[in-house]
Amino acid sequence: MSIPHKYLPLIAFLLLSGWLLWPPVEETTNVGASTKHPEQAQYVIKFAAGWAYLPDTHPFGIGKPLQGLKNVIRDFEERFPDTRIEVLTVPGIREYLVTQLGSGEAPDILNVNVENVWTDVQKGWYVPLDPFLEQANPFVVEQGDATKPGYKQWWDMFRYQAISRGKAAPDGLNYCLTFDMVETGIYYNKTLFAKLGLAVPETWEEFIAVMEKIQAHRRDDGTETVPLLVNIGAFNDWTTDLFFDQLYYDLLPGIDLVQDPTREPYLDGYLDWDELAFLRQKDFFSGRDLRYREVWKKMRELKRYTNKNLMTDDLIREFVTQRGAMIWTASPMSYRLSGDKSLGFDWGVFYMPPFTRVTSPYASGQAMCVIGGAATQLEVSNSAIADTDPSLPMRERMAQSQRLKRVIEFLQFICLPENNAQIVNEYPALLPNIIGVETLPILQPFAEILDRRYTTTKWIFTFDLRFSEIQRRMLELYLTDGIDLDSFLHWQEQNIDAAVANMLKRKVPDMQRLEERWQALAPARAIMQDLPIEEPQL
Amino acid sequence: MGSKKIWLIHAVLVFFSLLTLLPFVFTVNNVFRTNAEFYHTFFSVPNAFKQTLSIAGGALTGDDTPIEMADEEGLIRSLDKKQALRLSLTNATRGPRLAWKVIRPYMLNTLVVVSLTVIGVILLGSATAYILARYRFAGHRALFFFIISTMMFPGVLTLVPSFLLVKSLGLLNTYWAMVLPYIAAGQVFAIFVFKSYFDGLPEDLFESARIDGAGHLDIYWQIVLPLSKPILSVVAIMNILGTWNNFLWPFITNTEGKHHVVSSGLFVLSTTAHASNFSTLYAAYAISSIPLLVLFIYATKPFIRGVTSGAFKA
Amino acid sequence: MSVRLQSPLSCYAIVLPSLVLLTTFVYLPVVWAFASSLYEFEIGADSHFVGLAHYGEYLGQDPTAFPSLANMLVLTLIAALMRMSFPLIIARLIYALPTERWRYIYRIVFLVPIVVPGVAVQLIWADMIYSDFGLLNELLRGVGLSHWTRGWLADPQTALASIALIGFPFVGGFEVLIYYAGFSSIPESVNEASALDGCTGLQKFFRIDIPMVLSQLKLILILTLIGGIQGFENIFILTRGGPGFETTVPGLWMYFNAFSFQRMGYACAIGVLLFAIIFGLTLLNMKYFKSSEDLQGVR
Repeated sequence: MSIPHKYLPLIAFLLLSGWLLWPPVEETTNVGASTKHPEQAQYVIKFAAGWAYLPDTHPFGIGKPLQGLKNVIRDFEERFPDTRIEVLTVPGIREYLVTQLGSGEAPDILNVNVENVWTDVQKGWYVPLDPFLEQANPFVVEQGDATKPGYKQWWDMFRYQAISRGKAAPDGLNYCLTFDMVETGIYYNKTLFAKLGLAVPETWEEFIAVMEKIQAHRRDDGTETVPLLVNIGAFNDWTTDLFFDQLYYDLLPGIDLVQDPTREPYLDGYLDWDELAFLRQKDFFSGRDLRYREVWKKMRELKRYTNKNLMTDDLIREFVTQRGAMIWTASPMSYRLSGDKSLGFDWGVFYMPPFTRVTSPYASGQAMCVIGGAATQLEVSNSAIADTDPSLPMRERMAQSQRLKRVIEFLQFICLPENNAQIVNEYPALLPNIIGVETLPILQPFAEILDRRYTTTKWIFTFDLRFSEIQRRMLELYLTDGIDLDSFLHWQEQNIDAAVANMLKRKVPDMQRLEERWQALAPARAIMQDLPIEEPQL
Repeated sequence: MGSKKIWLIHAVLVFFSLLTLLPFVFTVNNVFRTNAEFYHTFFSVPNAFKQTLSIAGGALTGDDTPIEMADEEGLIRSLDKKQALRLSLTNATRGPRLAWKVIRPYMLNTLVVVSLTVIGVILLGSATAYILARYRFAGHRALFFFIISTMMFPGVLTLVPSFLLVKSLGLLNTYWAMVLPYIAAGQVFAIFVFKSYFDGLPEDLFESARIDGAGHLDIYWQIVLPLSKPILSVVAIMNILGTWNNFLWPFITNTEGKHHVVSSGLFVLSTTAHASNFSTLYAAYAISSIPLLVLFIYATKPFIRGVTSGAFKA
Repeated sequence: MSVRLQSPLSCYAIVLPSLVLLTTFVYLPVVWAFASSLYEFEIGADSHFVGLAHYGEYLGQDPTAFPSLANMLVLTLIAALMRMSFPLIIARLIYALPTERWRYIYRIVFLVPIVVPGVAVQLIWADMIYSDFGLLNELLRGVGLSHWTRGWLADPQTALASIALIGFPFVGGFEVLIYYAGFSSIPESVNEASALDGCTGLQKFFRIDIPMVLSQLKLILILTLIGGIQGFENIFILTRGGPGFETTVPGLWMYFNAFSFQRMGYACAIGVLLFAIIFGLTLLNMKYFKSSEDLQGVR
């Protein structure tokens, strides 16, 4: 049988693809030296490490492939030959995570913002870490030096105590390990600033003036430069909290009803969901709350100077090609900029300048608070206790599980300064949270910002995902002139009410106590202006 | 037809071809550009190409001077022509190579899933359609209606319960989690098409076979299947297309990521660290288009024949 | 024509695998979905019966309900219109070419949109054409209309239209092939007869060609409608339904409710409503469908 000519290319193609596909599929995500004894691995621990440390990847496409985590894992596996650690890539999409957890198939160690975890803790999906954190770190103990942090309590190893402990869930338990920190900053084009005679702004008015000048500037080819590059996530998350803190700070003596003994030493004046819910009943955060209106009005003013397209992820490109003068983004950008050989301009970083009384009569004059904080937050999922009986209560399962022991030991291992430095400081992106591991010089400005006061509340992390999803969507619409301020505030009121109702289904706060505290703080409020009119209490 | 008319037709077709192909031309171009180039201009001839061409051109003219080039680590080294050529080719193909490393397991998985699905759909679909078309038995109309009415159920409705079902059957992260539901759903259309085709076949064909003592299996294997060749290609191609592009279901059921198929794998790729490396991403898109391209080049004729065979008369 | 009275047993035996698969993976989930739409149900938590409350909530209180239904309608109609016009014209033009070689070449060329995986096409359009320095904006800047540039997928006025126009000029190989097949099955006698009658060109196209490919048109229409009513994967990748709810469709909202907000029961209720729409359309179709079956004669 002779083969018709036209099929010859097909056959060639099939042979070629057969050759390409044939070799056994290596698991590109398998790291570690356990190839020595793969069959002996009794515990295979899955670790979703997050994009920053993924072995063999090139963050931002520059530099050498990452090896730090790989090396630390190899050391761990040599120490514990019965264990193998697999590093996974998990899409950072919430819905994906829910299906994984619901089916018990999630990685043993996850990296998600712990506030996303809080809504699900009562389902037994996560393992509380307090019992382990309050004990000594065995790896420090075996080194013998009693003065080293971690000898008495694992907690002591963390540098940013306020932020780390502040991650405790509303039920009082700590579900995450704050592995490293991130902070944001406004990166600016120094060359352009020099050319236009601009200085780094120190107040909000100066900031606006700088952006006005940039917006008026035309480049040689006649095109405009965007003063500030921000995306919707930054507006929805960072800006909301920063502005809210700026405008409500002075009210705290009158509205911070409850001080949580465990967290209060670290989170001064933080408003939890129950306080927010109570305040909502007093008509705060509505169209009548002038300060709340101000938050969003100021955001709209800021939007005038930013990129038109808020949804884009690709603002880096515009900054790098100098089509934007400033970009508000997180610390890993420093690495990106310093590694770009063809950048062509000087850059610097500053933090958002504070409001003044000129900006708003409600401004507190405080410096802008910390908006960054924990970056890699490692949680232990129910997969780690999969070797125990699901019908037992969590405490029992934690006590019985052998697998969990290994998982915790791994976490303790990567908290040792010598190991932590290999991972976190392999390239300058995130700041280490372990005492004894120094922040890389290029990230020093961010370390200073992290020492500032913590924020008043974290809106989109306080309530559930539906709340933050709807707020983000409506904010996009409002900022792009899809709806006006009053409509937006109306949506927000309904949004907050729905979120509060949802929270109340799970946990009923002690409203009586909150009311008592509210009355007790009345004198403090008497001197405050423009509070929303209280609804008469019947 | 006048030649002026032909030129007009060609003009219109070329215009539309350009419009259609434009995004993909840019995609392929971006495969060979580095991130820096990508950021700076929308379209440019890739540096890697220019470099390779200039080195090759220099070699042809007999120019012997060594070339200074930055290697993978960023160090400037002095290389002779051959090494320089090899290095610039390596640079040019970095995107496709990295992409292939990531895509290869997805391709394998897709091959397995698609083959199993198509075989399953054809076997089950044709067998069931054969029975429904050529035999009258108690409840055969109800059965047909039962089968066909599943086409009305929106896929989204069954997303959640199917997921829970697959999970409780312990099939998560296996090929079966994808293959079985696809066969279950895909066979419906196949049954529909096969049945209308079989309805048009003359009864004597089967009568004579039965007189010769052929059982169901023989009839099926020797008569039904060979006869339905034109329809086979249509059903096969439509199932391949459907399976290939189905993204949400593999995304949900592959919690571990080992069994991702091309569609869900590409999505995962675009949301992970690799996404910051645009040449890898675009190379992945380009490479994942090749199998279907080859398929269609060879399968167009049978497909057209199948569509016109009479099974689609509405 | 098909007349063989047969004992049910052997027939059902052969049909059994199909039935088992169908029941397990289609009917069971559907019934489960119908049932759980009556409960407030969350993965990992308890569920309690709420009856038809979800339906009431969606139609009465959910602000996304009617906008998303409208969006779905718009997107589906535009898709159907596009898929029945451009590919038809292109297929007819290709068919009109005299040499087989050229026809072959053009058919291959227009295959490109469908061989690229759907996910990739969406991402390519989003990154390269609609992005801030993508093709569209660069073109506008190039011709001096830079004040028209915008984030096409982010601007509330253009988001839906941008999604609808992905795939421009809609000459996807699949539809072209189907229509081409239709044209090539027009018997030569019809062509000759129309030539004799002096009916050529556009007149022939509208009076004769189109009616002869009616079945292909219908097939594409049905496929597009079904796809449009339940499809949301592309929107999920592109805008996740934003800005605001400008591009949300019921399918997407259902997905979010199920997997993100964890209101399974509510999500199933939305799904049942979508089913009701498709069911309604199917009933309509069957009325029309029946008549052409009658035309073909009794089986």
